[in-house]
Amino acid sequence: MGGILTILILSPLLGVIVLSLMPANHSSVKMIGVFGTVLPLIVTIGVFSLYDRTLSGIQFMESYQWFELMTAISPNEPYPVTYDLGITGLSLLFLMLSALITFLASLAALRIQEGVKGFYMLFLLLEFGILGVFSSENLFLFFLFFEVTLVAMFLLIGKWGGFEREKAAFSFLVYNGIGSILLLIVIIVLFVEFRTMNISELTSLLQESASYEFLSGNTRMWLFLLLLLGFGTKLPIVPLHTWMVRVHIEAPIAVVMIHAGVLLKIGAYGLIRFGAGFFPEQLKETAVILAILGVINLLYGAFIALVQTELRAVLAYSSISHMGIVIIGVASFNTAGLQGAVFQTISHGLIAALLFLLVGVIVDRFQTTKLADLGGVASQTPLFAGFFLAAGLASLGLPGMSGFISEFLAFLGLFEAMPVIGSVGVIGLILTAVYMLRAVLAVTFGERKPQFDKQKDLSAVELVSSAILLSLIIWIGVYPAVLSNTLQMARTLGIGG
Amino acid sequence: MDVVWLIPILPLLSFLIILFTRPNLYRKAGIVGTIFTGAAFGCALLVLFSNFAEGNQLVEANWFSIDSVVLTVGVEVNPLNALMLVIVTLVSFLVHMYSIGYMANDERIATFFGYLGLFTFAMTGLVLSPNLLQLYVFWELVGVCSFLLVGFYFYKPEAKAAAKKAFIVTRIGDIGLLVAIFLLFWQTGSFELDVIFESVLAGDITPSMVTLIAILIFIGAVGKSGQFPLHTWLPDAMEGPTPVSALIHAATMVAAGVYLVAVMYPLFSSSETAMTTVAITGGFTAIFAATIALVQRDIKRILAYSTISQLGYMMLALGAAGYTAGIFHLTTHAFFKALLFLAAGSVIHAVHEQDIFKMGGLRKQLPITAALCLIGCLSISGFPLLAGFFSKDEILASTYADGRYVLFTMALLTAFLTAFYMFRLYFLVFAGNESSKAKESSRIMLIPMFILGVLSVVGGYIQTAWFGTFLGDWLETSPYPITVDHPTAPIWLPISAILLSLAGIGLAWMYAKKLRYGERLNPVHRLLFHKYYIDEFYRVTIVKGTRVIGYFWMYFDRFIIEGGAQALIGLVKRMARAGSDIQSGQVQTYGTVAFSGLVVVLLLIAVIGGYF
Repeated sequence: MGGILTILILSPLLGVIVLSLMPANHSSVKMIGVFGTVLPLIVTIGVFSLYDRTLSGIQFMESYQWFELMTAISPNEPYPVTYDLGITGLSLLFLMLSALITFLASLAALRIQEGVKGFYMLFLLLEFGILGVFSSENLFLFFLFFEVTLVAMFLLIGKWGGFEREKAAFSFLVYNGIGSILLLIVIIVLFVEFRTMNISELTSLLQESASYEFLSGNTRMWLFLLLLLGFGTKLPIVPLHTWMVRVHIEAPIAVVMIHAGVLLKIGAYGLIRFGAGFFPEQLKETAVILAILGVINLLYGAFIALVQTELRAVLAYSSISHMGIVIIGVASFNTAGLQGAVFQTISHGLIAALLFLLVGVIVDRFQTTKLADLGGVASQTPLFAGFFLAAGLASLGLPGMSGFISEFLAFLGLFEAMPVIGSVGVIGLILTAVYMLRAVLAVTFGERKPQFDKQKDLSAVELVSSAILLSLIIWIGVYPAVLSNTLQMARTLGIGG
Repeated sequence: MDVVWLIPILPLLSFLIILFTRPNLYRKAGIVGTIFTGAAFGCALLVLFSNFAEGNQLVEANWFSIDSVVLTVGVEVNPLNALMLVIVTLVSFLVHMYSIGYMANDERIATFFGYLGLFTFAMTGLVLSPNLLQLYVFWELVGVCSFLLVGFYFYKPEAKAAAKKAFIVTRIGDIGLLVAIFLLFWQTGSFELDVIFESVLAGDITPSMVTLIAILIFIGAVGKSGQFPLHTWLPDAMEGPTPVSALIHAATMVAAGVYLVAVMYPLFSSSETAMTTVAITGGFTAIFAATIALVQRDIKRILAYSTISQLGYMMLALGAAGYTAGIFHLTTHAFFKALLFLAAGSVIHAVHEQDIFKMGGLRKQLPITAALCLIGCLSISGFPLLAGFFSKDEILASTYADGRYVLFTMALLTAFLTAFYMFRLYFLVFAGNESSKAKESSRIMLIPMFILGVLSVVGGYIQTAWFGTFLGDWLETSPYPITVDHPTAPIWLPISAILLSLAGIGLAWMYAKKLRYGERLNPVHRLLFHKYYIDEFYRVTIVKGTRVIGYFWMYFDRFIIEGGAQALIGLVKRMARAGSDIQSGQVQTYGTVAFSGLVVVLLLIAVIGGYF
């Protein structure tokens, strides 16, 4: 199956082309937009079913010579830039997550009234970037696709966001721009040193040359820290998080679904794939600091979420808190912890998407996300209330749902080497329950506000979307082997427990 | 027996069926639920009898793996959990039946039965767990079912607050258990109970680590079983429908803490410190909650404090090496406390009132309820020959034999207090000459109460000094290393217990008429009525404290971090503006820039190329 990844990456662009040929106010613009995301979903499912779980290493490799860079310093040895695609179990899971959430987000975007054509074109461009990021086997491509997501996001937030959309978009661009510059520095240094940007080649070169014949330990530490900062901005690690709170609050709901569900995960993906893959020694050296950073994220986000008065802000800080668990898992650097980190990214992606899907329903029905203005909606909209409660319980790590497995594994990993830090961290699990229940019950429980009489419960589309997400959350929670079989964590990174 | 896996599956099916056909089922949901849990009870009985004949069994399957460590799910049958299964499914079955009548007029009756099914699934799953991970999963699930059912009347602000409190306070305890599981895993490399006990007994874990882990596990048990200082959620949980209080907050889930300590008994008994902690916490909670129950006015809250107190008794027994006594009391308590709650429900159903000072004379209108409630009160008070008498005696004997004389005295005193507050309740509700237009409950509610009444009378004969210590002997056949003692108590012990209990009843009778005019409000009374102001204390310290920390970080976030970020963004903006200012369109400026650039580049080439 040569070329299937290229097909996958290009598939959202078909929708862009069709849309660009249509008049802006044509009635089927929305339909094309949604169908544009169905195509990549189908291809991803195809990739998923063709993926051979018994093999190790990269699959669906595509590698072409692209162009060469001549330099004045060594004109006879050009630097080859190649076009490499390929996936591991890790990236496959992220591809599945992205394609699914983008599809569901495109459904949630049906409520958008203005500039629909432009919105869906950028939306599909964003998907193009995301799929590219997770299929790249080459740092140059990775970086290119990463930049595509930035541009698309910037425009989506700035044009279709809330009251302070421009501020949010600008904030997004500054932080992520700086983050990607740091990333670029690392990429250039590695390229100059090893003359390749192929990720698996770099991984094995870096791990084989542990005696540092290429790069000294000191340089590697600097590169690792740059990566940490770059991806840490994306994840985000406190105190690099304020842009992301703004995006959560200001961006259109469909975009937040993708942002919280997928884009933040690029930070986790990068940290695991490149941070842990390229610089395992440096990661081990900084493990304690990383673990502390993770616990700070977890507690900091939770404490602030506790006193927010606005539902979207609660969920934004909740995302920060939950990303702390990813950092904890990476920091523990054993199989349990790393598996926990990956599970947490997938699980949080699904849960955040579900929560924001339902926030979209709240905005649509009640025109407010202020906790004090909501309340008692369970009697009018029992289906919505049921799903919202289930999503909240999933988010606070209820066993039987995906969040529990990931938290459990990440903390289990952490307790091997750092039980004291872990003991501080578990306080976060109590706080998560406190702020999540506070927010969910403030919306659904209590006395019904008279102005919310006669509200419609979930529509068919909303019901099916929520049900898909919730069933996946429960499926992973009950049968986590579905992830771990595909992931094969130890094999992906070539490390032992 | 092969039917053991059906025990959790049947209630789960009931839940799923009701969940997906909710709008069509409506009232029939009760019948579905009752049939499925009844079948589960049948299976539990089969499993119990097969355990007598065939002994213990363990079946496991792979769940998923962390590297080379394969995590499993499975079911295990041993005397302890076979007994628990029967208790859980029996009470669940009876409560299902009772609820058909009790909840008949609630339009969300189907949802109610759905939750009950889910709870029964989770509780039986917990009991069947052969490893700690699985146990923890179900431990949390029963917690969430409790949360859902406490908050069943979601539109009531009190129910909302109570549900939230129940979940959060128990979660504090759960975290202790979770940390203990992590520590045990890295000490023993497994979640399996048998592997863990093997390592503990082989001395692979240092004694201080054993103590630490045992106490962390106990914190989990304290949260679930409403022991001091995490007891505050349980009285508030009475906001849930009364059948729920009988099932979850009296007979089964709150006993899970006691069950957990019993399951982990080999670990606890390896640490003297841990055992003492359990005993003291239990003994203190028993008398502490009993004093609060003395003055409460709400019928369900009195029973709730009574439950806390009785659970304290069980903990005391376990801590005092009275393994059999603890389990024995757990069993009899499940019967008589469920009975008392159902009787209370029958009263509430009839008079729509929960304040016992606004009731009276109800024995005329509710004769059957009154009679059954009397049996429950006598049993819990330790009236001779009833179930509670034997189990309470066993606890007192164990505590005495263990040489914990202070705790023993407290336990004896608690027996007196228990008799007093139970009969204060009974006399205020059923005695007197007031008349009201209450109607006796329907048969579907009375039959479950009758069955529990019978068990509250005869349940004690499974373990007596006269007929035989069947329960203790059987529990000893556990696959795990458990030492079951047979304490012999001096003859004055049961006699003084009987006298104290009779004295309590007598005192309640004497005061019943006086009490009818309201209780005197002296400072002690007020202190007890306000539950020692512990809720207020928590609200001011922990709840407020957490929020203050939250606000601190919120403002830190807003002004320090976001302020810094804005400064950074401002800098970028200024640079951009400066850059665009240069692009003024003046050719002279461009020329200057180009020329200086050229100079710099040439200089660089000259320097790097070594032309200087």
